[in-house]
Order: sequence, then C-alpha cells, then structure tokens
Amino acid sequence: MKLAPDQKLDIREVLKDLEHYRPKRKGWTWRVRREDQQIGPFIYRNTSETLKNSIPLPSAHNFGDIDPQCDFVITTEIASGRFEDDLRRMRMAAWHGADHIMVIRTTGQSHIDGLIEGTPEGVGGVPITRKQIRASRKTLDAIEEEVGRPINFHSYVSGLAGPEIAVLFAEEGVNGAHQDPQYNVLYRDINMHRSFVDAAEAKKVMADAGILQLDGAHNANATAKEAWKATPELFVQHAVNTAYSRAAGMPPEQIALSTVPPTAPPAPKMRLDLPYAIALREMFEGYKFRAQQNTRYMEANTQEATITHVFDTLISRLTRTDVQSTITPDEGRNIPWHFNSIAGVNTARQTLMSTDGLGDLLAIRENDSLRQQVREFKERAVLFLEEIMEQGGYYASVAAGQFVDSGHYPERKADGIARDPKRGDGAGSVIQRRPDYGAPVCSHFGNNAYAVTGKRPCEAYGGCTLCDPAKIRYIDEVDPTDNVEKRLEQPRAEREVGLLRPEVEKHGDGVVCVTLFVPARQRLAEAAALEMAKHMRLENPEVISCRLMHPAEGSVFEIRGILDTAVRLEDLPVHIHKEALPDTEIESWVRPRHIHVVAATVGEDEHSVGLREILDIKHGGIEKYGFHCNYIGTSVPLERVLEVAQTTGAQAVLISTIVTHAGVHKQNMLRLHELAAERGLRSRLILIAGGTLVTDDFARECGLDAGFGRGTKGRDVASFLVEKLRAAETE
Amino acid sequence: MRCTERPDNFESQRKQLEAMSDEELHALFWDLAEKIVDPLIEEARTHTTPSIERSVLLRMGFSSIEAAGLVAQMGERQLLERGAGRLVFELAQAKDITLREAGCGLLDGRYWEELQA
Repeated sequence: MKLAPDQKLDIREVLKDLEHYRPKRKGWTWRVRREDQQIGPFIYRNTSETLKNSIPLPSAHNFGDIDPQCDFVITTEIASGRFEDDLRRMRMAAWHGADHIMVIRTTGQSHIDGLIEGTPEGVGGVPITRKQIRASRKTLDAIEEEVGRPINFHSYVSGLAGPEIAVLFAEEGVNGAHQDPQYNVLYRDINMHRSFVDAAEAKKVMADAGILQLDGAHNANATAKEAWKATPELFVQHAVNTAYSRAAGMPPEQIALSTVPPTAPPAPKMRLDLPYAIALREMFEGYKFRAQQNTRYMEANTQEATITHVFDTLISRLTRTDVQSTITPDEGRNIPWHFNSIAGVNTARQTLMSTDGLGDLLAIRENDSLRQQVREFKERAVLFLEEIMEQGGYYASVAAGQFVDSGHYPERKADGIARDPKRGDGAGSVIQRRPDYGAPVCSHFGNNAYAVTGKRPCEAYGGCTLCDPAKIRYIDEVDPTDNVEKRLEQPRAEREVGLLRPEVEKHGDGVVCVTLFVPARQRLAEAAALEMAKHMRLENPEVISCRLMHPAEGSVFEIRGILDTAVRLEDLPVHIHKEALPDTEIESWVRPRHIHVVAATVGEDEHSVGLREILDIKHGGIEKYGFHCNYIGTSVPLERVLEVAQTTGAQAVLISTIVTHAGVHKQNMLRLHELAAERGLRSRLILIAGGTLVTDDFARECGLDAGFGRGTKGRDVASFLVEKLRAAETE
Repeated sequence: MRCTERPDNFESQRKQLEAMSDEELHALFWDLAEKIVDPLIEEARTHTTPSIERSVLLRMGFSSIEAAGLVAQMGERQLLERGAGRLVFELAQAKDITLREAGCGLLDGRYWEELQA
C-alpha cells in the first residue's frame, strides 16, 4: 500500500488482503541523531534526520519552511474507539513529528481472560485485536514511507491476557508496550500471583521481539491525592518492575521508566520536579526514560495544560530523556480530539526545538541544596523498600496497604490500596508446573522440558509462529453487526455523494467548539452562553471550559455541540477547487510580457511580512515568474497606490490589509474599487486584496477581482493574474 | 498487618542511611529490589496460568478461539500442569499427525482418553 500526500487514506485498501499482511520490521527504532546539523539558516545541536513529508511549526515559513526534528522520539496517544478513525489521526500526527503511536485500549479489556477478535468499537480506546493491530501496522508501514521515518506502534500488555497479547504483539510487529504487573494488582484488582506469573512470560516474549517496555508507575502519579508525595513509591514501583523484567530476561535498553514530573503551576514546579527527575535518572542509570507530561493537575483549560507541558518537556531537555510523550491538552475535559492530540505533539517539538543546544549554555547547579533534595528522594525510596522486606515481601506489603498511600513516605495516612493475595480477578488460576512440564515454543519463560541448550524448542515441528509467521492463524470478523464494514457504510455513502461534516474524533461526528465571552456574572453568563449556542443551531451544547475574567464583568466559555449539517462539495464556489497553473506555464507566459504590478500595505497598517512573501523571489513570490513588482511600503494611502500604478503602467494592484478593527479592511477594499473607477482606471487594472481575514468572496463583494487569505502562496496569485490577463488578451 | 497512620519520621529513620555514600545507597536500593522480586520470579519459573498456556498454543499455530477451547477443557481435566503445548505436541507425535490435527481433534472431542493416560 502506498500513500499519496494529496489523497485520503483509503480504508478499503488497508483492509484488502489483510489476512496475508506481514509487518515490515519488528522491534523498537530510535531516531537517527545528527550532531551539529545545518538546517536552513541554523546549526542544530540536538536534532535527528529530517522528514520527507511533514508539516512544520506555524512560524517555520519565516525560516524557509524548515522542519527540524528533535533527538527524542515523540509519542502521541490515540483513543477514538474506532481504529479506522485512529488511522487517520496517526497519519496526521506522523506529519507533525510523532514517531511513537500509543493506542489506548478500550475500557475493560484488562478483565477479558483471552484475546478478542474482529473490529468491534471501543470506549476510550480500541479493543486490541489481531485485525485492528494488523490494519494499524499496515497503515503505519505506509505512513513511515510517506514521512520517511520509522514509526513505533505501541499498546498495552496488561490485564488477564498479558502473555497472549505479548505473543500477538511480537507476531504483528508492535514495537512498544506497557507491561507492569503492579498496575494489574493496584489499579485493576487482578490477582497478584496471576499478574506476576503472567508478567514473566509476557516480558520474555517482549524481550525477544525487541519491544520497548514502559512501566506503569505514572499511574501512581496520576491518581495520588498530592502527587509530589507519591515520589518515594514511584521509585519503588519503577524498581520492582525493572528488577522483575531483568529477572525475566529483558535487557536494560528495552526497559523504559514511565515517569512524570509530579506537579504543575502554581506549585513551584521546577524546584520540586527537577531534583526528582535528577534523582530518578541517577538511581536508574543505564535504563531508558519515557517522560510523560503531567495529567494529574490538568483542568479544562487547554492553554494552562499546554504551558505545564512545556515545562514538563523542559525538564526532559535539562535531564535525560529517550521518549518524550505528549498529553493532549484537552484531556482534562473530554476524550481527546484529534487536532488537540496533534497540538500536544507540537507543544513537545516546539519546546524541544526552542531548547536545542541548551546544555551547551546551562548546567544544573550542583549545590548542597540540590544534592540534599536528590538524596532525600533516594533515601525515602530505600526506606520504602526496607519496609516491604519487613512486611514479609511484596505480596504481604500490598496486602497491608503499603502502596498508593497519600502520605509522604515514611509518613502514612493509612488510606493505601490493600489487595488480598488470594482474591482479585483470576484468583486461583495459577497452576504449579509438574517436573515434566513443557512448552515447545520460543520465548517461553521458566521451567520447560523443551528448553535444551543449542536447540530451538520448536524445532521438532518446524518452528513456532515466532520463527514461521505463516503459521499464524488470522481471524477476520466474529460479530456481524459490530465491525468496521458496518461502521464504514455511512461515511462511504456520504463521501460518494460528496458530503462533508466537521469532526473532532470520529468520521463526521459533527462536533464543533465555539468560544463565547459573555459580559455577566458567571452563572448567568453560562446560561446565556448555552442559549446562544442553541441559537447557533448547535445540538446538545455543553460547556467544556469556563474561565472567570471578573466576578461581575464576565466569563469566557468554550462550548461544544453538534452541528448537524453536511456541506455538499458541489455547492462550494468553483474557484476553491481550482488548482494553480504549473510554475513553468506561468513563467513562460509572464516573462516575455514585462508585466508591472504595484503592491502596498494600505491604511494605517504596518504589516509587511505576508505581502513580501507573495512578492519576493526568495520566498517563492511572484517576482520569480518575471513580474516587475513595485512594492511601495506600509501604511500607504489608497490614492498613492493608484498614482504609482498609473505612472508605472501597472496592470495589477495588490493591496495587503491585515488590520480589521471596525471593518477597516472592508473599507479599504471598497474604496480601492471606487477610487479606481472614479479615476477611470478600473477596467485596465486587476485589483487584488490579501490579508489574514480576506476571502475571495469577500473581496469580490467589495468590487475587487480577487481576494487571497491565509496560506496563500505567490504561485496562487501569479496563476490568477495569468489567467485573468490571458483571458483579457484573447478577448 | 494493615498499615496504620504514621507521622513523617523520615529524619529519625534516615539515621541508618546517613553515613552511606550515594553508591552504597544505590547498591542497597537495587539489592532490596532484587530480593523483593526473587520469590516472585521463582513462582513464575515454576507455575503457569491459562493465559500462558493459551499463548503457547497461539505460538504453535492455533487461533485464539481454538487456544481458548483447548485450555479451558484441559483446565477442567486438571491437565495444564504438564503444559498445554506439551500435551498437543506429544499427542501429535504419538498419533503421527500434525499439531493442528491433534489440537483440532481434541476440540472435536477425540483423543482425550489418551491425554489422561
């Protein structure tokens, strides 16, 4: 399957012949780092290979559209509940620089004792099945060709079916996974004997498949009452999983600690979180670090979350990190919307580009105060471990409620999560192996009659699925109603007749978000805001964020609702579909004709950047086709623009009008047309306006020939001019 | 014994650690962690679970549905302590049939007497 950047992902193509699809590669891949790499005008210290296709940061157009890629792997979490929608989100995220795609599982999969098959819809994530994984890996294999960088696919090896999921992941080329039996025990109430016995097998399978393991300690942070007090236990959870993984045969380079800076402003975040990050990296020298952004203190305000995440990422840069994970800034208010997930990726890369080479300039001050803080983290952790031993070991200490206590260890509030070793989901299912126990397969942990040195345990029958993937048994669908084909019926039908709906999560879900400031006290303002949303024909409007500006003066609201309207492509203005002429065609027509144009930013307006880009040869502006451009500056009166046009014999006038206060851009456009008409110039001048809030329709309504808005390139303007002038020439 | 409330007695507790260098403290940390996981990993080495057994059958070329059926029936007959994979493999050898013929035969209700023997 090959993707074309201007074509939507075709799910039919993804599903075609899936039964025989094999992943291109297995195991985790790191970015290829490049020291002192020249990209555009800059030399970067901490970058990796650049991409073939990507979408740079918004400001990149000022620097020649460069898109440097940082040295850390960047994660995005994906959780729409429908894998077919997830695939589109993965593709968008990859174009924005994500190369670790973490697919969240549907609620409750941890408690399913076995694998599920087919493509059922999930809640808060997808049901992890062979078909969904294979379709995702196949798509990612194509996306990595499109962007030009390997993409790591990740999900969860937890719950009651850990060993089976680990085998599934190894077979299907999943590259990273969470695996931590403590998570099962503490947060899913799965029997602890079952969890740890299963975990050893799962870890062995993951180790042999090169899958990067993330632990589950970040959950203790996310659920703690006061997250900065959970730090001693976080050391312990990391240590238990790390030591257990090593004992199960996992090499250190595949073991990544999932760590989160515990606090957020207004807490003195850097002063608390940085020493913690340092202490952790010292204690776990030799292991990988997956830095997650803070979720514990996320509210509905996406801007606040974003700023916290910038500082989380700064900690990653100041210490040592291998994988920078991102949290979508809207996680505090809804299931992540796809464009917000991508905003999270951008937060990370913008921060990491901003801090490129920071280590050359800054070092953390190694003074007594820092050392004391670092030491205290470690000592509290050691004391915690000692008490586990005193309690009689791990199981006894969990039974006693030593974990997830809200006290700052050794302080204790006696509110920890206590689990009975004899209870929990899957209790009583652990079976003692007889001395002749055997499992004739690779990557099996523990006593095994077939584990003979120098021989593969599966040799006698020609190889297990890990050696011979042709033996993998693929199940397509099991539920005739809950499957991808059924779900695609509506989107396909709508696409065929050319209907478009807005969406935030699933195909055409119709969800939109509007921002309203209402100048009244909060409760009144909220009721009014919801009423206003209904007037906008939003169904089921719901306030997802409210920020008080002043108790009496008003509040600002973000309201989500469903806009149950589909737009027909055929009803859209034709010129929107029009492609610009090819560069060569424009240039060969323009150059011999010596066409002059006059350009200026008009009115009381000092913005020049946008117009210069449309004109300047070095930005790919219209000069490169041979237009003679006479740029006369900013804040130019309209009269002056027309005078220059007259004296230079220009055939077109380009005005830029950015300022929009009191509709001044509209006035400028109307006045330009009127003035040109008054002076008898209108018929021989093409009048064009450009600006961030200018649209083609708007400019035409004002009497101009065309309007160009955000995202316009010189080629678009040149193409329009050529077509217009060519038409006039042939008349 | 259920943990009870306790004030933050870090200052008194840390006395025993105070004299240690960072390296010694790190070594103690990892020594304790390893001691804590020792009995857990030993249990894993000597025990199995239905999920492990199903994962073995997956690797031997059975589908998840087949593996679930086989392991459930072997569990009911108290046979898993020898390993589901071993049972199927030995059956195939004894009957000179393929692994899949052995496993699918069991799912059809055949051969069970031989496994119990």
